[in-house]
Amino acid sequence: MTADGVGGAGTARSGSTGARRRAASYPGKPTPPRSGTRQFGWRNARVLLAFFAPAFVFVAIFTYYPLIRGGQMAFRKWSLWDLTETPWIGLDNFRTLIENPIFTTTMLNSLIWVVVSLVAQFLIGFVIALGLRRKFRFRGVYQALVFYPWAVSGFLIGILFRWMFNSEFGVVNDMLMRIGLTDKPIPWLADPKLALASVIIANIWYGVAFFAIMILAALQSVPHELHEAAALDGAGRWKTLMRVTVPTIKTTLVLTVLLRVIWIFNFPDIIWAMTGGGPGNQTQIATTWMIQFTQQGEYGLASALGFIVMGVLVVFTGAYLMLLTRERKP
Amino acid sequence: MRRNIALSATAAISALALVLSACGSSAGGAAGSGDEQVTLQMVESLTNPARTTLIKGMLADFEKDHPNIKVDLISPPTEQADQKIQQMLQSGSGVDVLEVRDLTVGPFANNKWLYDMAGDLKGWDGLDKLTDQAKKFTFDAAGHSYFIPYGFYGLSLFYRTDLVKEAGFDGPPATWDDLVTEATKIQDPAQNRYGYAFRGGSNSAGQLMSILEAYNADNLDAENAYKVTSGATIFSTPESQTALDKYIELFKTGSPESSVAWGYAEMVQAFTSGSTAFLLQDPEVIATVKDSSLTADQWSVAPNLLGPTGKAAWPMATAGWGVAQASKHHAEATELVKWLSGEPSIQFDKENSLVPIQKSASNDEFFKTGPWAAYVEMTSNPDKWISVIEPRDSAWWTEWMQRSGSDLQNVLLGKMSTADLLKGWDQYWTDKWNG
Repeated sequence: MTADGVGGAGTARSGSTGARRRAASYPGKPTPPRSGTRQFGWRNARVLLAFFAPAFVFVAIFTYYPLIRGGQMAFRKWSLWDLTETPWIGLDNFRTLIENPIFTTTMLNSLIWVVVSLVAQFLIGFVIALGLRRKFRFRGVYQALVFYPWAVSGFLIGILFRWMFNSEFGVVNDMLMRIGLTDKPIPWLADPKLALASVIIANIWYGVAFFAIMILAALQSVPHELHEAAALDGAGRWKTLMRVTVPTIKTTLVLTVLLRVIWIFNFPDIIWAMTGGGPGNQTQIATTWMIQFTQQGEYGLASALGFIVMGVLVVFTGAYLMLLTRERKP
Repeated sequence: MRRNIALSATAAISALALVLSACGSSAGGAAGSGDEQVTLQMVESLTNPARTTLIKGMLADFEKDHPNIKVDLISPPTEQADQKIQQMLQSGSGVDVLEVRDLTVGPFANNKWLYDMAGDLKGWDGLDKLTDQAKKFTFDAAGHSYFIPYGFYGLSLFYRTDLVKEAGFDGPPATWDDLVTEATKIQDPAQNRYGYAFRGGSNSAGQLMSILEAYNADNLDAENAYKVTSGATIFSTPESQTALDKYIELFKTGSPESSVAWGYAEMVQAFTSGSTAFLLQDPEVIATVKDSSLTADQWSVAPNLLGPTGKAAWPMATAGWGVAQASKHHAEATELVKWLSGEPSIQFDKENSLVPIQKSASNDEFFKTGPWAAYVEMTSNPDKWISVIEPRDSAWWTEWMQRSGSDLQNVLLGKMSTADLLKGWDQYWTDKWNG
């Protein structure tokens, strides 16, 4: 709000705004130039505040207050063993985490987990959305089947994949052996080199649905005329996709990618159910490690790790949005 | 008009609130005795539907015996139960009687959330009816009583009678050495047949400690099985090095390669599906195996495996019922805990496959026959199967379980030597005990 927007002249200004609105509504009358700043008086401000207040109070009580309360645990010795004393210990919890030998592995695993899952989910989701855009028989049934995983709990998906990847009783090895791709069971979750790949495969299967839903919705909003115009200009399918479709749905793609990065980074369910972070911490990511600290009753350490996760995501989001803004500028 | 409606609505809501709060206090009752009606809130932790039904039936019997006490059972899902209980205890309301585990009694008591029942148990005739093991866990070293166990979990060897016979052995292995020999002979990956259901995944320390304790049985500190009588940690002895090497041999020659990631579910599935011959597990598995495709003559249970000196330790995990410090009905809540720990506990232990807490259970035919015979043999020979206590109430127990699981996996994957593992664990426990 500008400085002019507050003060005793509010009534007069709202009167003049009303006059402008009335003038604008008469056909044939010239529309006055927009000043670029909308000015409100006290009365408007009070009304706005009244509308904002419930949401603000709700968010403050249920989001920010717990965040601040939880956040202070990161700087205290907050252990379940003795909650009668929670002394202030500054940055000790952060130091303990960073000095832990598995810190680097965990952060590296988190990065691989997010990047590989995201790229694969995006590409497969895009292809599925393109396929579903056109009408064909049983499209509704097919759509329901594609979107179904998104409705299932991540933890349940993890348990299902844990059994599917089981070396002795799992369906994956059984199929591979039946079609002759391997002659002995592959220890998917026991081999450190395969364990991370296995949990990522499960996550890709789970997350593809979200990309498919979002991209399909965006594709359906692209005006058909644009494609016709591109066809008339002699553009092929690939060119139409890259020059017409993608730029039109770019906003949706950008936001979906941003949301998914945050969600995948914060998504321990599948890994926790499949490997618990093992074997030998080979599938440990920041959020599964956080669960371990919570189970130990070490809430101070868990909270400190939460701060680190939040910091990483804030930096990523800032950098991502800044890059996009810079790209948009001529 | 609008103002009138708003006023009327406010008045109606206030009146309703008053009525509800009046109902609430009436239902909750004051610290009650005599004819005054008291409602207790009871929370279980290791919830499952069959168990909840059983407890509800027991509570109905209790209410018949105690007409002035009503009990509401709260059954949170197992995975979140301990955290829910913790939140309830922390808030100081909503719970009178709760399920206390040997893993949670430490922090709960330390935060002064549990009521000390020691005074109430003085003169209780039920105390003498408890087994020595149950009495040992009813009171801590300082004489406080924060829970009475309802039963015990202790490892024993589930084995396939048919596979053992087919392999040419007279009977199940009695020692760890025998187990390695039999498991190695039975193992045949080409037939999808394996010797031992190895636990390499979560909470793997239980089975590993069993062999370490068996090899150190002559010098084990019975009050703290992670120590030997010299006061050093169990991990510092040469016997532990031999035991750990033997355990890794069992993994390499008699267990599936993928068992490096196996948790409870995979181990039990491997045994019940018929692909592995041996399983070292708690008695709760009896019910699962009975429900599986294995026929009664295909499997049995043998006592916990012995070490080279013919002895084994038999550490017990336990849980029981306790009373919240914040409860306003300590007398009624303690009465319920005493009642649950009496004769009704035998039925509870039978249906949950637990080692019973009542002395009289040893005369019960149920606990003498079939798979339970091994437990009778172990309890009847306390010099051979030495009852020991593991430091499961340590503040760092969960941290230890996670660290030990991860280290064992690193050894199984060839990323750590057995000597380094033992050295690290010796240092870990020495540092923890020295504060």
